[in-house]
Amino acid sequence: MPRFLDPAVLSAISGLELVAKTVVDGFVAGLHRSADFGFSQEFAEYRAYTPGDDLRHVDWNVYARSERAYLKRYRGETNSLLTLLIDASNSMSYASGAVSKLDYARYIAASLAYLAIRTQRDAAGLVVFDDELRCVVRPSAREGQMHRVLAGLERAEPRARTRYEAPLEHVQGFVRRRGIVVMLSDFYATPERIVRAAEPLRFRGNEVVLFHILDRAELEPDIGASALLVDLETAERMEVNAEYAARDYRERIGAHIEALGTRARAAGLGYRLLVTDAPLDAALREYLTVRQGRD
Amino acid sequence: MGFLAPGFLLGALAVGLPLYLHLLRRQSGVPRPFSSLMFFERRLPVAAHRRRLRYLLLLAARIAVILLVALAFAEPFIPGSLAGAGPERLLLLVIDDSFSMRAGARLDAAKRSALALVASKPSGERAQVLLLGAEVRALTSATEDPRVLRAAVEGIEPGDSRASFALLPGAVRAIGASAGAPLEVHLVSDMQRTQMPPSFSELAMPPNAALELQPVASGAAPNWAVESVTAPGQVFDLRTLRIQAVIAGYGTPAATRTATLIVNGRSVATRRVAVPASGRATVEFDAPELPYGLSRCAVRIDPADLLAADDEYLFSIERAERRRGLLVHQAADTRSALYFSAALRAADPSAFVISPVETANVAQEDPSAYAFVVLSDVAALPERFSARLADYVMRGGSVLIALGTAAAQQPRVPLIAVPPLAAHAYSRAPAGFAAVGEADATFPAVGRTADWDGVRFFYAAGLPVADARVLMRLTDGTPLLSERRFGEGRVMLFASGFDNLTNDLPLHPVFVAFVDRLARYLSGSEGRVSSHVVGESLALRSVRDPAVGVEVIDPHGHRPLSLGASTTAESLPLTIAGFYEVDFANGRQDVIAVNPDRRESDLAPVPRDVLALWRGAAAVPGATTAHGAPRLRATAPYDLWWYAMTVLLAVCVAESALASRYLGTPREGP
Repeated sequence: MPRFLDPAVLSAISGLELVAKTVVDGFVAGLHRSADFGFSQEFAEYRAYTPGDDLRHVDWNVYARSERAYLKRYRGETNSLLTLLIDASNSMSYASGAVSKLDYARYIAASLAYLAIRTQRDAAGLVVFDDELRCVVRPSAREGQMHRVLAGLERAEPRARTRYEAPLEHVQGFVRRRGIVVMLSDFYATPERIVRAAEPLRFRGNEVVLFHILDRAELEPDIGASALLVDLETAERMEVNAEYAARDYRERIGAHIEALGTRARAAGLGYRLLVTDAPLDAALREYLTVRQGRD
Repeated sequence: MGFLAPGFLLGALAVGLPLYLHLLRRQSGVPRPFSSLMFFERRLPVAAHRRRLRYLLLLAARIAVILLVALAFAEPFIPGSLAGAGPERLLLLVIDDSFSMRAGARLDAAKRSALALVASKPSGERAQVLLLGAEVRALTSATEDPRVLRAAVEGIEPGDSRASFALLPGAVRAIGASAGAPLEVHLVSDMQRTQMPPSFSELAMPPNAALELQPVASGAAPNWAVESVTAPGQVFDLRTLRIQAVIAGYGTPAATRTATLIVNGRSVATRRVAVPASGRATVEFDAPELPYGLSRCAVRIDPADLLAADDEYLFSIERAERRRGLLVHQAADTRSALYFSAALRAADPSAFVISPVETANVAQEDPSAYAFVVLSDVAALPERFSARLADYVMRGGSVLIALGTAAAQQPRVPLIAVPPLAAHAYSRAPAGFAAVGEADATFPAVGRTADWDGVRFFYAAGLPVADARVLMRLTDGTPLLSERRFGEGRVMLFASGFDNLTNDLPLHPVFVAFVDRLARYLSGSEGRVSSHVVGESLALRSVRDPAVGVEVIDPHGHRPLSLGASTTAESLPLTIAGFYEVDFANGRQDVIAVNPDRRESDLAPVPRDVLALWRGAAAVPGATTAHGAPRLRATAPYDLWWYAMTVLLAVCVAESALASRYLGTPREGP
């Protein structure tokens, strides 16, 4: 894995903007070297030249015929609207290694915002929620938007419990333009409830992607002979034994992931499981894929 | 089942601890945070049931360990039964043959009682006959044959030793351990009060032994005895001889007794003495006529009680001529002979006489005519005298050489022919002189180091110490007194003089005792006592007299030492009262008087309540001995302690295995 896509390495970098730039630069460099993936070069439309645009993209044939400068725009170069929804409930603070789920979500959100704003010139916004909205940065491509999004990410602290209905309902209120809604959460709720909360966003023509963020220890818990576990959100205590953790629990969470992915796709939502010890490029790839598909 | 220490059963309350750990404490370890318990469930019935069952096994093992430890400490036993006891029981007949059993017909009564027990013994039951005296001695091995037992009992003769009941439990415990069977101990004794140990706990019998007491004395019997005689072991001048005897009464009324002094079997003096009731009186005999040599003496009172054997006290006195010592000195030395002679006269004017001779006149002297020779700071000796002196030492003579300023400057030390080492000159100033730092307390002439406090040494010759035993040292480590063996004799070196110049020893009281004891040691007449007590040991040789035969004839005319023992034995236990004739390894002959321990003369018995306490358990109704006396103990407890410990060991092993398997550290997952 490229070093700067390793979340453990990123955790040592201070500053989300630097993290985001590092990730995106590394990601983009990888894309340019890849023969299998690249920006689409399919012609989409013309755009009038404005001072400052790159002259390499001017269609000189059109200029020769019309004496007016127009820029060719290709698929993938059209502007989009990215809304990032970050779950900052207490369960997102869990970490078995160097990076907690919330930190991982922060890295992804920052990288996506950087990719959208600086590279794709998209508008990006941020919503941080737990059982209610904690931070809202409306999508915009204006100057300083990147800093506003990063500041909102850095202020996000894990607390309270998770509640999807009210925050997503609020998001529906200000997402008026069609765009991409990326939701980063550990989704500790029934798949029906999650899809029911997120589906209305799809009805507005948005592309909704669920990034299911889990820690490796949540997928494969190792608790020894027995352990007394405490729920980070409800503070409930439960004594569990190794046999259950090794067998039944893994079956149940595997079934939940499967069910959530199936129902999400069935509802037209994008879904991807992200584990906090995995590189961040998967999330970026998913975003670009959705973006290009939308176009 | 009973318990010897039931209080330890309270330790079983400690089972509460594992119960608390296993059943009441439900939490396991430190709580661990987890994102969500959405996909966890509380212990499934099958898994929980399995875990509880496994832990209960471990809990049961731990509870069993605690209970078994408490049980073992409580010393459980199963009371047995004498009636109908199986053949595995061992009967011990312990007969007291101490000196007090000579009183009246006590020993005969004891033998009759023992024979009755042998007769009443079930056929096939093993028995053993033991004697209780100065030690517990087995007359027979464990046998079923009553004839062997009867012969042993009938052959018991009265002894002279002092017995102690404290010896019995240890002997019974040893016999029980080897026999591996419950014991029934019958002690046949006069139950003398003086045989009781200071602590009652010393009488505790082992749990597998039942004790039955067979008193043969009905009560206290009055007894007079010659308790002690004070007499010198050696006398040189009869005019100084005084013999004192103490007449004691035990449980006696006030009475007048006649005391007779007997010398070599002849009565030489008689005194009447009034002895108060249960009291003591002293009688003195002055200047009895004694022949030269060893005399066998005794003080005897007229018989008036059951125990006549203690009416006589034996002792021996050696009358010797005054021993002569030769002191050779320089003509200029006018003081050493004076001081040396004066010290001997002060100690005992009749023991030694010193013949001072100047070096120039010593050639004609024959050292063998003297008990010892002293060379006081002699520079040189005539060759002829030196040869005689050397021969004298080789034949067993003793020489003391004082190395003063003259002798220390000679090329060789006389007799031992080695050069002296460098001398040490000390200051007369305060804290500049030397003092005695070490003294070998095992050497009788030296005494204690503290006795030499204040003696100042201003000059000390360098003593060659190769092949020598150093007996005294100064504070700076300089040898002061040493001894060497040459043939049968000895040479002692003193690193200073007796002239009050090289030291101020003659001005101190320790000088008299030192010279007197040294003279006795050199002459071989040290430390003779007039009498001994049965139970003491007599030294036959010192380590300096190897492989020289010793001959001993006991009061019965027997030789207690074998041929081999006569050349190696270093001491002889005195077990019989009377006179021993001894030829010591150093050639000295002596008559040793031995008397029974006078504590045996007090015939008062142990109080009945104390005997009952010693017996222990209550009698079994209707059970009687062959003489019709009630059996006082009907149970022979069977010790269960070993069984409890064996089971405890097995449970501990099981607990360790269970704990290791159930509570071990699990392996990490992939």
